[in-house]
Amino acid sequence: MSDSPPVAGDREVLITRIFEAPREQVFKAWTDPDELAAWYGPEHMDAPRERIRIDLRVGGRWELTMVARDGGAGEFSIGYTIVELVEPELIVMRSDLMPEMGMHEPTVVRVEFHDHGDKTRMTLSDGPYAAGAHHAEAGYNAAFDKLAAVIAG
Amino acid sequence: MQTDQLSLTFAALADPTRRSILTRLAEGEATVNELAEPFAVSLPAISRHLKVLERAGLIVRSREAQWRPARMQADPFDDAVDWMQSRKQTWEARMDRLDAHLRRKGETDE
Repeated sequence: MSDSPPVAGDREVLITRIFEAPREQVFKAWTDPDELAAWYGPEHMDAPRERIRIDLRVGGRWELTMVARDGGAGEFSIGYTIVELVEPELIVMRSDLMPEMGMHEPTVVRVEFHDHGDKTRMTLSDGPYAAGAHHAEAGYNAAFDKLAAVIAG
Repeated sequence: MQTDQLSLTFAALADPTRRSILTRLAEGEATVNELAEPFAVSLPAISRHLKVLERAGLIVRSREAQWRPARMQADPFDDAVDWMQSRKQTWEARMDRLDAHLRRKGETDE
């Protein structure tokens, strides 16, 4: 597994990973639709290439749809807007609001790529996720892009 | 909360109509007719959705009143939120796949 530190507080996920690949390649895995399609979807789900849209610029969109494999029920689309971009060092994306589903506050995924020669140290933060009961709705909905894995499993 | 209950909860949430129904019920109890209003689906279809939500423990429906209004049940909801706050696991699994992808790629390139 990994030596990633635990969740920081209860509102944000923090992950650190070392990948056996140069920084450009890891960055590309996040930002090239062909690459993303190969790994992003959870087990039993696919993130089909034709349903990935990445407009790699500040203000651009980062969207994909996860589809159940083997004709299983359910698909889930996620969408982000790129708010910071430093190739190949940093990408920061703000999740779409889905007020019709009770998601009134965005979450921010921040991925940093640190150059270690033929290795890359990647840090990821994702949040904030609501903790209080009055935020349950938002937390609930913010989590939907992860439900797919559970459903498919 | 048992995994099986979580599976039920999440399966119930997999459907956008059911999520919308829950969002509506978060504001207060409602009858099938009221719930069906914003959707282009039949009352029996809404009733089926409510059954799924009820089975998942996400809503309760009054046994007494003629119209059996539905209301949201907070417990599995909160459990699901708690569980979801550990999105970390999902990200970790995703990073495992990214790692495997990059390794595959590295082998191909060599």
